[in-house]
Amino acid sequence: MNKLPLYVFVLVSTCLLFTACVKDTDFDQAEAISLTPIVELDLIYFNLQANRFFDSINSNPILTVSDTTDIRFLDDSSLQEYLKRADFYFKFTNSIPRDFQVDFQFLSETNDTAYVAGTAVSQGTVSTPVLTEFTQIVEGEDILRLTQANKVVVSVTIDSSAQNLEGNLNLKSKTTYYLEN
Amino acid sequence: MHYLFTYILCFVGCLAISQNKQILYGFDDIPQSLMLNPGLNVTQKKHFGIPLLSQIHFNGGATGVTAYDIFKSGNDDINDRIRRKIFEMKSSDFFTATLQLELINFGWRAKNEIYFSGGIYEELDFISYFPRDLAILAWEGNQDYLDYPFNLGEISTTGDLTTVFHFGANKQISDKLTVGARFKIYSSMFSFRSVNNTGTFTTRLGGSDSENIYEHIVQNADVTVETSGYAPLRDLDGSSEVTSEIFGRALFGGNLGVGVDLGFTYKIGDAWTLSASALDVGAIFHTKDVETYRAHGTYTLDGINLVFPPLSEGESTFPYYDDLEDDIAREVSVDTLNTTYTQFRPLKLNVALSYGFGRFNSSGACDCLNMGGEQLYRQNVGLQLYTIFRPRGPQLAGTLFYHRRVTNFLSAKATYTVDSYSFKNVGLGVSADIGIVNLYLAADNLMSYGNLAKAKSVSLQLGFNLIFDEE
Repeated sequence: MNKLPLYVFVLVSTCLLFTACVKDTDFDQAEAISLTPIVELDLIYFNLQANRFFDSINSNPILTVSDTTDIRFLDDSSLQEYLKRADFYFKFTNSIPRDFQVDFQFLSETNDTAYVAGTAVSQGTVSTPVLTEFTQIVEGEDILRLTQANKVVVSVTIDSSAQNLEGNLNLKSKTTYYLEN
Repeated sequence: MHYLFTYILCFVGCLAISQNKQILYGFDDIPQSLMLNPGLNVTQKKHFGIPLLSQIHFNGGATGVTAYDIFKSGNDDINDRIRRKIFEMKSSDFFTATLQLELINFGWRAKNEIYFSGGIYEELDFISYFPRDLAILAWEGNQDYLDYPFNLGEISTTGDLTTVFHFGANKQISDKLTVGARFKIYSSMFSFRSVNNTGTFTTRLGGSDSENIYEHIVQNADVTVETSGYAPLRDLDGSSEVTSEIFGRALFGGNLGVGVDLGFTYKIGDAWTLSASALDVGAIFHTKDVETYRAHGTYTLDGINLVFPPLSEGESTFPYYDDLEDDIAREVSVDTLNTTYTQFRPLKLNVALSYGFGRFNSSGACDCLNMGGEQLYRQNVGLQLYTIFRPRGPQLAGTLFYHRRVTNFLSAKATYTVDSYSFKNVGLGVSADIGIVNLYLAADNLMSYGNLAKAKSVSLQLGFNLIFDEE
């Protein structure tokens, strides 16, 4: 039997398969691959009328009003793992001639306080609303606490109230999430 | 996450336009060339592929990126390289892989001079276009992209695992013309596709009359993923159960389809030959285990609107978060449908023009490769064109080739191909007959074999057959 074709075939195959290589590469670098997206997301907003701070039936001032909402994505296990920093930005526009204290209490599923933040809001007038901006940067150990929370209680406290009080307190807010894996 | 990324990149790096077998096309010393043109001039009397080994075909590639681009040794940061590549690549760039494994392949020349051939092969075919906008969103987030509409329509991918049963006939009907046809039955074991999607996602800075700081807007979204063969896998436990379920469908157990391959070879004068083929003209009818997921709608997210309702002791406030989720689910609904659908096979077209010179067997020795009795040339040069129809339109490749019958037992074909991947794709195929055993090996992108990491695509076919020529 003519062995020549076999030799040629083996030679060509060998050249093809054994000269093939992957070089000048370092696949261990895969360990260093890191996604670091920065995500901007709206948080909560409200419009509180001045008359919400006075019980006209009983003629009593209501100094603190509060409301609660779930924010269930916050204690998601992926977010717990990847969230490195969160910047909360609150923008108040106040046309009520009163100062306010606004507190944000982040609660865990078992209603334990995980994280708190708060700010004073300056008084304004109906004709000249006053802007108060407040930024809370959460990072390091605080992130671990924050990501235990899955709801937030917002308490708005007015320093004093009256029946004829006018204007409203507006809040717009967002969070910047710095993620990294 | 970065493991997934690594796997994808390694897969791409270690892996020509998908399914283009430019070396095998017209390489009539190899019986599998009949699979690329059923109207080929068949030179043998009969052939029988060694089961499971008659053709192993692997083909993979990526336009726009190589493994070297990402993993090259150097001092710069790998994340900077990935970021640079994400921005360099276009949404028309794609990743593709094809695996074919012949289980059986056989053929014989009947007394009426018709060459019948048939067999079974498994085919895994995958393509995904690069969803550039979504890659940017995942890599960078939306902070630096306010008002930029991220295009959800860039999602375009298909994947199929199919068993193909085929039987064909080939006949020389005149001195000049040989024609052939192959009938195929497809059994789809697993299939998914997400094509023709639309919609955008934009984060816009709200104006003074906006409810909140931003408006997150999903506009005219319509994203569909069609699956068949997936639904029964969901409840299975572990990869071994999934594998046995999928391969249990191999023999007509999947969704069935039909198709044909057609081809001819026509001699123009003494030296010129024109050939062409259309492969996989057919469709698969997905009727069982079909699930289609469709998300569609328009929605603007402003955040959560607190209304501070006056509450009595023990009374709870509104379920804002649940209401928000319900709103989103209502406005951008995700439906699961069981509508049957028809999937056209990716049609492939081949055309070749070749010029032959140097009469083979001029020495008067046994004309073992020429049982059809017609003239074979020692050398052929020519041009081949290839097209495959993909979700975003046809992909083209052009090849210049040189085919030489070195001896009665040895033939070789060299190719130079221009395609979506590169302008320097050189390929080589060798077919050797040792007694009745035929061995062949074809590989392209040889210039990249010095460093496969730099290859945008690699294609390899090899196999073993028994070839019986007429005494």
